[in-house]
Amino acid sequence: MANARSAQTHPLTARQAGLVACRRCGRVHGPAVATCLRCGARLSSRDATSLQRVWAWLLAGLVAYVPANVYPMLETTTLGKTSDNTLLGGVVELFVHGSYGVAAIVFFASIIIPIGKFVAISYLALAVSRVGSGAAAHTRHRTFQIVEFIGRWSMIDVFVVAILSSLIQLGSAASVKPGVAALSFALSVAFTMLSAMSFDPRLIWDADKDPVT
Amino acid sequence: MTLPDPPQMQMDDPRRSPFRNMSVVWLVPVLALLVSFGVAWKSYSDRGMLISITFGAAAGIIPGETTIRYRDVVIGTVEDVRFAPDFQTVIVDTRIDRAVAQTLPAASQFWIVRPEVSTRGISGLSTVLSGVYIEGAWEPVTGSTTRAFAGLDKPPVVQPGREGQRISLRSTDASLLPEGAPVFFRGVEVGRLDTAQVSPGGESAVVDAFINAPYDRYLTTATRFWDTSGFTVKLGPSGLDLNVASLGSLLTGGVAFDNAFTGGLPVTDTTVFNLFVDEASARQSIFTQIGANAVPAVIVFAGSVNGLNAGAPVDYRGLRVGQVTGISAFIETSPLGARNVRLRTAIEIDPQALGLDIQTGQAEVMAFLREAVSRGLRARLSTNSIFSAALKIELVELPDEPAAVIETGADNLPILPSVASDLPNFTATAEGVLERINALPVEEVMQQAISLMAAIEAVAADEGTRAVPEALVKLLEDSRALLNKDDTQALPTELRGAVAELRKVVADLQERGAVDRLASVLESADKIAADLATATQEFPALVSDLRDLAAKAKALRAEELIDQTSRLLASADAVIATDAARALPQDLSNALAEVQGALKELRDGGAVANANAALASARGAADAVASAAGDLPKLTTELEGLVQRANSLIASYSAKSPFNDEAVDLLRNLQTAAKAVTQLARTIERNPNSLLLGR
Repeated sequence: MANARSAQTHPLTARQAGLVACRRCGRVHGPAVATCLRCGARLSSRDATSLQRVWAWLLAGLVAYVPANVYPMLETTTLGKTSDNTLLGGVVELFVHGSYGVAAIVFFASIIIPIGKFVAISYLALAVSRVGSGAAAHTRHRTFQIVEFIGRWSMIDVFVVAILSSLIQLGSAASVKPGVAALSFALSVAFTMLSAMSFDPRLIWDADKDPVT
Repeated sequence: MTLPDPPQMQMDDPRRSPFRNMSVVWLVPVLALLVSFGVAWKSYSDRGMLISITFGAAAGIIPGETTIRYRDVVIGTVEDVRFAPDFQTVIVDTRIDRAVAQTLPAASQFWIVRPEVSTRGISGLSTVLSGVYIEGAWEPVTGSTTRAFAGLDKPPVVQPGREGQRISLRSTDASLLPEGAPVFFRGVEVGRLDTAQVSPGGESAVVDAFINAPYDRYLTTATRFWDTSGFTVKLGPSGLDLNVASLGSLLTGGVAFDNAFTGGLPVTDTTVFNLFVDEASARQSIFTQIGANAVPAVIVFAGSVNGLNAGAPVDYRGLRVGQVTGISAFIETSPLGARNVRLRTAIEIDPQALGLDIQTGQAEVMAFLREAVSRGLRARLSTNSIFSAALKIELVELPDEPAAVIETGADNLPILPSVASDLPNFTATAEGVLERINALPVEEVMQQAISLMAAIEAVAADEGTRAVPEALVKLLEDSRALLNKDDTQALPTELRGAVAELRKVVADLQERGAVDRLASVLESADKIAADLATATQEFPALVSDLRDLAAKAKALRAEELIDQTSRLLASADAVIATDAARALPQDLSNALAEVQGALKELRDGGAVANANAALASARGAADAVASAAGDLPKLTTELEGLVQRANSLIASYSAKSPFNDEAVDLLRNLQTAAKAVTQLARTIERNPNSLLLGR
């Protein structure tokens, strides 16, 4: 059992086997091949600039996330009175008004997920650049998959804003306009998604330096 | 288990230093950072400046929501409402546009706009829905650093920075001039009054007014302001005059202005206008008002100045050039030591009214007057009108007067020389004329005239008078018969004596001049009639004259004369009837010729013609009296007219009178106003919170 687990945790990587797989079509090539013999894509055993791009996009997403929280997400005009709602303010307001469910969804989608993504991606990027625990490799891989899957759902807030502002345009009676934060938030989500996509998951396994028995 | 040696691979080192192989993708976060910083910087610089405005109360102000506006444009938002350290006032921290904040002078005015219902209408209705806001008004400056301002409790009447002209109005009573009362120009509201203040000296109230921009160009020194508040009711000869400016001004008061004449000078902020009680006195003021630069002078009158009051006009050639400012007595010690009380009348003369420039100094005016006095300018008292005892001072040019100069009195005021006026006599005369007209015995005169006519008629109708010509004819016939007789030549000597006697009688008749006297009497009656026609004030004299005339006419010896004549004729007849007469000598012809001449003279000299003339002139006299009496109906007509006017005055209260129309209009206005108020009340009733809470 322990052996099996060890074999699971410390498998032979393609790189160790001197092979390189095409990331587009999946065909395995020999080490001397530069382009895929089937689809013609460029082959590389590891993406050399992956981490750079991860950090860069992550940073950009982080930068964009600041105004997304500081500036108003929605500008609601009702009978001449304009009220601005930031992300967190909106959540608090919903919570105060008793819409706990909606408040929870919004809080989850616009606070927890983005911050979780930042933490997760930076954890992954940090983990591959250092010698980490082999046991964690699979966990990290799972994390990466979750991050990649769930990242798009952060856009739910942006969609809500887009739908509201296109629906509620009743002139001076009531109108909703997207604030600066909406754009920032959309950018932030996009940047973090790009960051996640830039991550080369194969690096996870390279960090696993435990010798194969 | 052995693994085959892996072949050498061409691969990149995954741990290469990022600085050696920098990815282009780093531009993205850098760009994001730049954009974020840019946005942050922009919003910081757009953030505006925090100013604090102190209010007594902050009703309806909500931090983060209440806006601050300038010229109805939102320039900022209230950030915080807090108390002053002493808890006496509320400080409203407001973040306003940076560019705007730099134009705020320390005298900027801020006030809270709320819905307001007043006699001038409803304002701030928009704030019922949107909530109150703070309105600011100021005269923009550059580079201001003032950040703390005092707010006003209510909107200022005159907002700084508005185009227009600020002026001051001076009035003795400002009780009808509340703050914000409208200023009208030809019925158009063109400005507002500010708060009334008592002048520093306490003698009048001064109200600042602000005339809005397009209308301030109508303001000149010729402008006169008057009070239109309330309404005026004037009872005069033209009936009842009711004047209501507008319902608004009826309730709140108001001021109107117009230019009394053209060509006034432009006004400045310091110009002070007098506020007149009504339009008539305002318009009249150009004749009565004395300019501010009036020159004081003194006139000493010797006689009584009873009827001369302060404010009485000083006229020059009928034009008002000044006014009396006061009358006082002082004791003058003559060179001989006698002490006399003299009356000192203080006047002031408006150089402008004399045609001098408005800026003319006192010295120049005095030089002008000095020169005029050397030409004979004197002050004299005269009456304002026949029917009042009020006096005015007249500056008249009497070149024949002895030379005089302007002296300088004890109080350093110039003393204008005066002349005595025939004023009291004239007044007495005028009064006497009226009294005498009043006391005219018109009826008596008429009766006298009628009885005179009757007497004259009686004389004319008398039998004896008629008999005179008949007897003469008879005499002539007899004479002719006598002359035709042959033996008339032989007249006895006695006849000669009789003829002499006859001649004597005739001469006597001539000497006595009865006829002439009658003529002269009638002439004098004629003259009296003429006098009567011209001099009405001599009616009493005329009456006595006429009475005399009537007496004379009554006393006329006409009957006697006729008797005498008859007697004469009878005696002549008797003479002729004698037999001796038949023997008349030759010279009888001469005598008869003389008789004939005498008779002819009697006829030609015109006893009858004179009687006719007397009758004619008596008729003329009667006519004159009649025409004099005929003026009476005119007087009666005037009296009747007066009564009718009084009647029409009373009647003007009836249905179709202007008073009624105006009153009905007023009532209608009041009705409309009442309706509006009712509507407003209903609105408030339906939704009281909206008005109270301002939301």
